[in-house]
Amino acid sequence: MRATTPATAIAVLLGTLAVWQTSAHGQQAPAPGRPAVAAPAVQRTADGHPDLQGTYDLATMTQVERAPTYNGRLAIPVEEARRIEAAAAARTARALGPDSGNRSAPPVGGDGSTGAAGGVGGYNAFWIDAGKAFTIIDGQARTSIVVDPANGRIPPLTASARSRQAAARNQPTSDQAESGGDVGLETTAGAYDDPERRPLAERCLLGFGSTSGPPALPNYFYNNLHQIVQTRDTVMILTEMNHDARVVRLNGKHPPADVRSWLGDSIGWWEGDTLVVETTNFTDKTRFRGSTGKLKVTERFSRIDGRTLLYRFSVEDPETWTQAWTGEYTWPATDDLLYEYACHEANYALGNILRGARQREVDAKKGSER
Amino acid sequence: MKKTVCVVLGAIAAAAIVAVPLVAHHAFGGEFDPNRPILLRGAVTKVEWVNPHAWIHLAAKEVSVGGEKKALNGATEDWAVEGGTPNTLLRRGITRDSLQVGTEIVVDGYQTRDHSLLRGNGRNITFTDGRKLFMGSSGTGAPKDGADPTEPPR
Repeated sequence: MRATTPATAIAVLLGTLAVWQTSAHGQQAPAPGRPAVAAPAVQRTADGHPDLQGTYDLATMTQVERAPTYNGRLAIPVEEARRIEAAAAARTARALGPDSGNRSAPPVGGDGSTGAAGGVGGYNAFWIDAGKAFTIIDGQARTSIVVDPANGRIPPLTASARSRQAAARNQPTSDQAESGGDVGLETTAGAYDDPERRPLAERCLLGFGSTSGPPALPNYFYNNLHQIVQTRDTVMILTEMNHDARVVRLNGKHPPADVRSWLGDSIGWWEGDTLVVETTNFTDKTRFRGSTGKLKVTERFSRIDGRTLLYRFSVEDPETWTQAWTGEYTWPATDDLLYEYACHEANYALGNILRGARQREVDAKKGSER
Repeated sequence: MKKTVCVVLGAIAAAAIVAVPLVAHHAFGGEFDPNRPILLRGAVTKVEWVNPHAWIHLAAKEVSVGGEKKALNGATEDWAVEGGTPNTLLRRGITRDSLQVGTEIVVDGYQTRDHSLLRGNGRNITFTDGRKLFMGSSGTGAPKDGADPTEPPR
């Protein structure tokens, strides 16, 4: 089989991906709900708090939601995870192997790929840097980032959220469909009429899949690095994808409710050795999996060891989910460098997409005149 | 039977993961035309090492578009193909200089929906012998993983 693939594969892939997608870290962590206890060796800042600073690679094979194949298990033995990881690594290695130099063009009508690939495929595996190992917590490999509800699945949407989303299908898009990843060929009328109607990620304004946070989630694709810089009064979280710097004001207060921003307003405080960050004052433009401006995210950062943070977060929005939900995973430190991801200037893709839409309009007009 | 099905599904999924994004910076289907498959052969003329997507330019001496081979009569056509983010490769020690101007490559993918543009997606980019770009030996864009003692240290 060729490296770039048939599309039927994608549907299957979506179903099976969770089994072998991932992240890598063999560190031990406290059980969910228990505060992390800083090891004696953990360095502290001058003001006595744990030093959380560093660059972290959030890529993991542990998916946000638990796949049905795990039969509700929160975790699997590390040995089982290692087998899945090895199989995934072998598949990637095969995909990176040689192809035929005498190959011909892919088929007319598309290569069958679905979703973001839109029938034309993506690009080679060498560009991709998804996680290579599962998140290990309490000595076991986690099957999902979501830990509450206990089934590892994000709670159902409220009735109002469902009707809101149904109505949104008839509106021009102004943001990324967070739950569905890329919007693909948007069929909403007017979706391609103006660059400002394109998704935020496509416009290089925010990353996709909530990389910018909060909550900060891996995108299972690439550029999952985050850097934390900490002072007595503020904590800055720099996100590679898309170059967003979130500044948390320690012991601060949220501004009035009518002051709102895309990443929300983040304030923080220390509870023992855990940094708690609360973010509110979101807009309705950055909808996290369909949320409203009433979204509230509470994050808890603690040190597991000198190279690993435990990141735990709770999400609530009574207008979106039937209950609050919580997730956790580790942030392993990396020695790699976080690079700038300022992509607006070279975003030829957006121009190509809008030109493509104009071409489709011309083609449709020709078709109707025939 | 069940085992066979699992193996087959696994193989299909495996092949899919490496080349097809589940999420991405943008909608590929809106940018590229599934009815305009391309096959390009030629030498690299420029590498734009930029986000969100690197662009590799080549002087194509062999061009097939939409199932038809173009008659170039010895001339070349300047094409550009879209790749992924350079950040990922930078972390592996690969830079735009790793892909030298003049390197002969083969690209298969799809042309942009605006056919006046000679641009396509780098669905599959290889050297002429079929090796994937950046996966070859030293001097041909190989990752600087320390395996080659002649490489300068990172």
